Amino acid sequence: MEIYLPIAEQSMNVFVLFALGGAAGLLAGMFGVGGGFLATPLLIFVGIPPAVAVASQANQVVANSVSSLQVQWRRGNVDLRMGLVLLLGGMLGSSAGVWLFTWLKRIGQVDFVIAVMYVVLLSSIGFLMLFESLSTYVKRRRNPTAPRGKRHTHYLVHRLPGKMRFYKSKLYISAFLPIGLGFVIGILSAILGVGGGFVLVPAMIYLLGMPTTVVIGTSNFQILFVAANVTFLQAATNGTVDVVLALLLILGGVVGAPIGSRIAARLPGVVLRALMAVLVLGVATELLFELLRTPPSPYSLGPREVLP
Amino acid sequence: MIRLLLLLLTLLVSDLAWAQRIEPPPGSVPAPALGGPPDAGLPPSVPSASAMPELIVDLSQPRVSITSAFQGESLLLFGMFDTPGEIVVVVQGPAARETVLRKERFFGLWLNTGRQQFDDVPAYYFIAASAPLQRLLARGAGGEILSLDDRLASIRPVRQRSPARLAEFRQGLVEVKRREDLYPAAFGHVTMQASRLFRAELPFPSRLPEGVYDVRTYLLRDGKIVAAVSRPLPVGKVGFSAQLAGWSTQAGPLYGLGAIVMALVLGWLGGAVLRRL
Repeated sequence: MEIYLPIAEQSMNVFVLFALGGAAGLLAGMFGVGGGFLATPLLIFVGIPPAVAVASQANQVVANSVSSLQVQWRRGNVDLRMGLVLLLGGMLGSSAGVWLFTWLKRIGQVDFVIAVMYVVLLSSIGFLMLFESLSTYVKRRRNPTAPRGKRHTHYLVHRLPGKMRFYKSKLYISAFLPIGLGFVIGILSAILGVGGGFVLVPAMIYLLGMPTTVVIGTSNFQILFVAANVTFLQAATNGTVDVVLALLLILGGVVGAPIGSRIAARLPGVVLRALMAVLVLGVATELLFELLRTPPSPYSLGPREVLP
Repeated sequence: MIRLLLLLLTLLVSDLAWAQRIEPPPGSVPAPALGGPPDAGLPPSVPSASAMPELIVDLSQPRVSITSAFQGESLLLFGMFDTPGEIVVVVQGPAARETVLRKERFFGLWLNTGRQQFDDVPAYYFIAASAPLQRLLARGAGGEILSLDDRLASIRPVRQRSPARLAEFRQGLVEVKRREDLYPAAFGHVTMQASRLFRAELPFPSRLPEGVYDVRTYLLRDGKIVAAVSRPLPVGKVGFSAQLAGWSTQAGPLYGLGAIVMALVLGWLGGAVLRRL
């Protein structure tokens, strides 16, 4: 069954889009990340213009993060103070990102930048995760009762000015750190159409040293508002949010998420992270291949300009 | 006897009138010769041989409506003409500025490095004919009826560069348009029936730019255009699709807020409902 997408200006199979949303939801349920990093490249791959894919995916992230946040908030897993500080950077970053996106679109380099950023991000994160889960696995097998190591270590980052106390996260760090992190995630959000959870969550654990219990909830909080900001700005400046496309992705995600969390409940964390790492690396490899491969046709068309 | 002479004279005059009408001034858009007796100078009492128009054309639909279920569409063009003759149909989308991008290898990566803009590029271009087009055009009608190559020869590069490079980009433009079925590669066939009726299929793909298209039908006799009928064909979104696209362009911020509210409500409901299952 085909449906015409009014903003993408083409017809697409309803079930393909629904399945894509479902896959993203499945990942969200399994790994606690948005799944946008998989859905956006796939949308582009099936022929949705990158500008529309990114903007509509941001809209889907809003729905995705509000349903996760619902659960996390009730469990008291949101560090509101940290979330707001992150959000300050996130709002600035996503606004800058939308502006950057518009500029890239105008000079015709948006596809390339999206692809390169995905390859760099996904491959580095994929390798980190794979390495981490493998080493954990090996350590556990050798000595199952080994202590997990120190709560957090003190790095250079703890010497930055503007220190702030984050009670829930049990942290006393410079506010510039979460602001800067939020800024970077905001840019990624705007350009890649992802929530950025797959970068934000490891960064909060390893860079800020936040306890894992509040990480998912707090990142969901920041992602919700950043994705909403991206949706709003993309709609207002570029007019590239396709609500029909977003609706199908959201509906797919709503079905996929609980299936994902059921799978996650049955698998040990190490296996889960290794699986995720393999998946991330797979997407990165495919995108890299697309960049290196000689294209079937070197030509493409930029946006049509109807002159008055 | 006198009446017979008069009739002959009428025929002769109407023939002359045709001859005058078929030569459009160079560079001008030919006036559509649809309907109406062309021989206005004749006394009305005299029965005119050309009271019937030589070429009548209609389309199976007055417009192409892009609805939520739109997947591309094939329109039927049909009509009647005075034999003998050949029929050529040219469908042209609205002209606009197109940007052609070209990927080149850059440190091993394929990157859009070449860029050329052209003005006056038709969004869509399709020709159908009742006989091989090359033969029809070679016989003199070529000035008015343009094959795709001839039509594209007149698009204007926004930035000048060497003719060889321009030709490459022009070729690239055709390649992309072909891929999207906006410049259908095959010439369409105009099929004749009972040697007076004709029909042709006009194929429109799903990724169709909006605007007013021009459907022009020509009647050729001995390599000359004897009649032409021009019909505008509006292509546009209707219903739900049109509403959404309209809001998106005219009220972007409001549309964005609407999209956020939709996502919030669905996400919230989805989360709430599925937790109970």
